[in-house]
Amino acid sequence: MIDNGLLVQMILGALLGLSVYLPMAAGQLSLATPAFYAVGGTLAALLSTQGNAQSAISLWAVLGEMLLAGCLTAGLALLVGLPVLRLRGIYLAIATIALVEIVRVAILNLPFTGGAAGIFGIPQPFQKPFGYVLFSGALLAVCGWLFQRLEASRLGRSMAAIRDDELASRCMGIHTTRVKLTAFLASAVLAGITGVIAAHYLNTWNARQGSFDVAITTLAFVILGGSRSWLGPVIGGLLLTALPELLRPVGDLRLVLFGLVILLGPVFFPQGLITPALLERLGRWKP
Amino acid sequence: MLRSGGLSPTDPLVARRRGNARLAAAVAGALALLAFLGRSSDPAAQRLNPEAPLTLGAALALTGNANLYGQDQRMGISLAQGWLEAQPHPRRVALQLEDGASDEPSAIAAFNLLIRRGVIALIGPTLSQQAFAADPIAQRQGVPVVAPSNTAKGIPQIGSFISRVSAQSSVIAPLSIDEALRREPTTRRVAVFFAQDDAYSTAKTAIFQKVLAARGLKPVSIQRTQLADNDFQNPITAALQQRPQLVVISAQAMDGGNLIRQLRELGYRGQIVVGNGLNTPNIYPICQRWCDGVLIAQAYSPELNTPVNLAFRRLFAEANQGRTPGQIAAQAWTAYQVVFEAIQRVQKRGGFEGLTLGEARQQLMKELLSGRYDTPLGPIRFRPDGEVVQGRFYVAKVRMDSTGRNGRFTLVREQELPEGTP
Repeated sequence: MIDNGLLVQMILGALLGLSVYLPMAAGQLSLATPAFYAVGGTLAALLSTQGNAQSAISLWAVLGEMLLAGCLTAGLALLVGLPVLRLRGIYLAIATIALVEIVRVAILNLPFTGGAAGIFGIPQPFQKPFGYVLFSGALLAVCGWLFQRLEASRLGRSMAAIRDDELASRCMGIHTTRVKLTAFLASAVLAGITGVIAAHYLNTWNARQGSFDVAITTLAFVILGGSRSWLGPVIGGLLLTALPELLRPVGDLRLVLFGLVILLGPVFFPQGLITPALLERLGRWKP
Repeated sequence: MLRSGGLSPTDPLVARRRGNARLAAAVAGALALLAFLGRSSDPAAQRLNPEAPLTLGAALALTGNANLYGQDQRMGISLAQGWLEAQPHPRRVALQLEDGASDEPSAIAAFNLLIRRGVIALIGPTLSQQAFAADPIAQRQGVPVVAPSNTAKGIPQIGSFISRVSAQSSVIAPLSIDEALRREPTTRRVAVFFAQDDAYSTAKTAIFQKVLAARGLKPVSIQRTQLADNDFQNPITAALQQRPQLVVISAQAMDGGNLIRQLRELGYRGQIVVGNGLNTPNIYPICQRWCDGVLIAQAYSPELNTPVNLAFRRLFAEANQGRTPGQIAAQAWTAYQVVFEAIQRVQKRGGFEGLTLGEARQQLMKELLSGRYDTPLGPIRFRPDGEVVQGRFYVAKVRMDSTGRNGRFTLVREQELPEGTP
């Protein structure tokens, strides 16, 4: 059975999946999501532990942190994105992994981020996990609505065009750099505000939260869910976050089974679980 | 902006968008249903069944990079369970063991799961960083937690339901340095190594360096390593150029074991003092014969001659081909023992009669903190804030056998610390 605590983690996973999906929808394999996630989480942890430790925090303060985290990660993404988005394919992936590593080492060594132990005693805006479910669920719903709109908008179609053929879309008059940078920025902002919620939910924040491992996990959300529609990473994030917990009755073998799912997923569903053909069938279906 | 209305209804893009919207609505509905069904997560308001056994939950790192400790802890807890079950006791206790892995979200998930299943108290999690994430959840729901291996500062201070049987690093660390200086009083040049991305190792090295400074020794070289490192040639070469007479290492079992081995292989012959992270017999296969002579301060000595420790040693040896237990296993045994004994004391007084689970948890916490326990670690009790008070500590030296594959911690010094030392 899935309790509300696990549901929060699943929704956070879905949000991170969306953050990886955004650049990918414009044909860019960026693994920078954990870096922005870590920046958002660290910012929230620092700001909310300024007062009395373990005291409550108002929802408005959390929204303020999210706003700040959004601005900070957008600025950082702009700074990094301009030079880095000149790279393509595997080179872009490597450059973004380097960003993740730089942010991790910086958080580890900055004098005010608590070193390896991190920042703990982060105050709670909600007394029960149900509050987090509503809050993060609302964020996911808003994101879903925006993504649904995006896919039919000029920006969304430009992104799809760049993914299919960057050179051809440039010849068609699409400002490819601007479109790619916009996707990268939006991805960073989403990861940053997800980090804010995660920091409060986890009670503690340290450099391990934004590591290379997270980059791979979040990439797996998109690969297993499917990268041709925004629902793919959402469903991938929800399923892959829940799976290790749902497999607990299996005992010691649960991580072996989890690994098998990740291994066999792409073999049986090369395009991910949510494919364009599936969506088309669903759309044409008349009850 | 292109609108779907402008295209023919048979257009695949329109169908795809509609399919997307339908599936999204289904996912949203499923999430709402899950949220509704998963709301009540704690059976604290239910009355206890006087006949049923009380369930004790343990969330240990059975997977991930802390699993070397988690496996030792599982062994310690299951031995304690078998031994205590064989003694006469008025209330049956059942154990539920869950994998808390080595990261924060897994520890939270394991705690939530066990609390939902109605455990009366929790043992775990393995790492201090996990404790900072998971303990506040138990605290908010009023579930007693006994930490078997969290040594970071501030763990019992998370709340009134949080306690630990693992003495804080700052109490133990100075003993091993003092022992090294007693053996070689002329030591002037000290090199320090620590894993900079590990909470435990950075905290420990700060304590070690404070002790060194207090003894008038300034490190000639401070080298930072990473938990996942295998090759330490560069930091070792840099440190050895300073001709250290003593090397002080704060690391975990895997990286620390490799570091010791490479230090010896690259020609270092002086004394090595290590921190609590290497306090497990699991380091023997890693550094093998090069482990020999390493000094370590411990909260547990297998050579302690008390009935409970002798029983622990015997059971551990039977289950592990004659091996000697280490501190991590002893502390896990102790964690199980203190909760078990507190439960039996409350039961004898009729304390669980007619209580709800939530009230029983409060009763148990009160009893847990007020008791005195005779454990494999020696006699212990708790301060009102949940910090363990342990009087006796040890310095051990690793002695490897002739095969170089097996060894043991031999006691070189035993020290009584006055009670109430932080």
